Amino acid sequence: MVDFQIPEWLLETQGPLPPLTNSKKARRSFAQKSVDTFSGFLLDDFYAERIAARKGLMQGLHPGVKVATSLVLIFAASCLHSWASLLLLNLYVLLLAYMSAVPPGLFLKRVWVFIPIFTAVIVFPTLFNIVRPGEPLVVLLHYGGHHQLTITRQGTQAAVLFVLRVAACVSVAVLLTLTTRWAYLMRGFGMIGVPTLFLKILEMTYRYIYVLLNGAQDMFEARRSRTVARTSTREQQRFVGNTMGSLWMIALSLSEEVHAAMLSRGYTGTPHTLSNSRIGGLDWLWAVFIVLISIILIGGDRFVW
Amino acid sequence: MHIPDGYLSPSTCAVGYVGMLPIWAIAVKKVKKSLNTRLIPLMVMGAAFSFVIMMFNVPIPGGTTAHAVGGGILAVILGPWAASICISIALAIQALLFGDGGIFTYGFNCFNMAVVIPFVTWFIYQRMAGKTEVTSSKRWIWGAIGSYIGINAAALCNGTELGLQPLLFHTAQGVPLYCPYPIQVAVPAMLLAHAFMAGPVEAIVTGLVTRYFQATNPSVIADQIAARVEPVKMRLNRMWWAIIGLILLVPLGLLAPGGAFGEDSVEDIKKAFHFVPKGMAALAGHLHALLQDYGVPNSRFSADAPDLFHQSIGYYAAAVVGIAIVGGLTYLVSRLVAAREDGGRGNS
Repeated sequence: MVDFQIPEWLLETQGPLPPLTNSKKARRSFAQKSVDTFSGFLLDDFYAERIAARKGLMQGLHPGVKVATSLVLIFAASCLHSWASLLLLNLYVLLLAYMSAVPPGLFLKRVWVFIPIFTAVIVFPTLFNIVRPGEPLVVLLHYGGHHQLTITRQGTQAAVLFVLRVAACVSVAVLLTLTTRWAYLMRGFGMIGVPTLFLKILEMTYRYIYVLLNGAQDMFEARRSRTVARTSTREQQRFVGNTMGSLWMIALSLSEEVHAAMLSRGYTGTPHTLSNSRIGGLDWLWAVFIVLISIILIGGDRFVW
Repeated sequence: MHIPDGYLSPSTCAVGYVGMLPIWAIAVKKVKKSLNTRLIPLMVMGAAFSFVIMMFNVPIPGGTTAHAVGGGILAVILGPWAASICISIALAIQALLFGDGGIFTYGFNCFNMAVVIPFVTWFIYQRMAGKTEVTSSKRWIWGAIGSYIGINAAALCNGTELGLQPLLFHTAQGVPLYCPYPIQVAVPAMLLAHAFMAGPVEAIVTGLVTRYFQATNPSVIADQIAARVEPVKMRLNRMWWAIIGLILLVPLGLLAPGGAFGEDSVEDIKKAFHFVPKGMAALAGHLHALLQDYGVPNSRFSADAPDLFHQSIGYYAAAVVGIAIVGGLTYLVSRLVAAREDGGRGNS
């Protein structure tokens, strides 16, 4: 008779597994991170489309006028020399965002998270006299007799100016892209003289990013769901390389299919676009208004304050 | 590597666009000649591919991940001209959708990432491994080395562009208006980050993807699109002229900005002149060596024409030295390998 004895190791009771998310060791894998990056992109884009579909100030403008006036504002932001006018411009763009039904929280997050904060971090050392000498504003430390560690006036001014400038530029760009659908954005750039070929490629690329992104996401998900052990960095890198390679094969065969589809529809090598929107009176008024605001800001910056 | 708006002065941005326009025009002309109606679909896929692989998290030792630009691998599979179009498009989408990289700075971002990386990679890859068997290991090794050098060359350009800002654009009080780090800080900082982080990642991606194609579908790198576009010799000559032209253009555009310099009043300079020595006196002792080069960006020289001239020469020299180092190293390596190959042939 066979003795069916349960092995001892199977009888051992195991305590609850440590929570994966709380332990520092359970860092997100490269596959997870990539999938998160992809879905983050899709999510951001989805929200932007929804905001662009709302009724608001910027949404109502002609795309060409909107693109042109946004460029004027970015130019103004690049030309300003005083922190006061830059702050004013930042607040003005915030007001525009509010009037365009962009949720202020989302707008501020999109603008400030990353670029201006990153800028503030990299500019931080220039506050101190050991990096950039200047007139002392606050003395932090005395050392070695007559030496001082100070925060300089020039350093502070430069840092504030720089961060505000970058934030103003990013605000205008974010507002433009949040309130304009991709196709309209392309049309807007077309009206200010960007070549059709470039815009056509841009427009189609935007579509096919989704296709390729889906392909990549599937590959990473498949990999993640089959990975149970820790893998070496080398193996992970090889996987990433292989994924990129097979993604290119997908892209290449897609391009052949798209090409055939284009030819069968009568494509001869010159792209054509429909342009039927007309610039209305209000659009002109807006353009004049923005140019005036920029002139007032730059003029005030140079001669008044 | 993506320069946001506000980091560079508008006149610098204009120089970037002026420099890029002919490069884009030549690229489209060349690629269109060989691809004809395939131009749009292939560039679309190339750009979408470039955009998507920039979002890949590449694992690096230590458990973290980093992103690659993908300029090297695109140069290997598409050739430099087509690669520069694809990366330019991908950068435009990044700027417009993510705000990753500015709209005004787009010209220089394209120059750094869509021109310098693919062309340097291609130059090295083609020269060292262009005539080898498709499955030869030389291909992926030189592709990887090429993209490592390529991304570092791009970082050098990037650092130079940023580092010129405080020298050329500041208020009368010496407050920098744009990126505040001078060239002697910006260039080493950029190079350091790229030599140890972004460079290896770019090299890994190019090397691994090239190997993948060698193993699964060698026709992708055999020639296909890359070689169809234009003979190599021609491509390099024109490219070098374009790069040299851009280098020459930079100070020309910057010397006449109609901006900061014209506004500095004599009173401002006098005011500035009075406090500067005081500030400097406190630091004159131990920190002397560190501050020596800072004499240039400081306020008392800001409005003087002769000093502007000196400043120009200073940064020009720095840029030329940097380019010469990278160019020289590349040339040296290529000569060494060429010599070794000749030697090998002689023996056999």
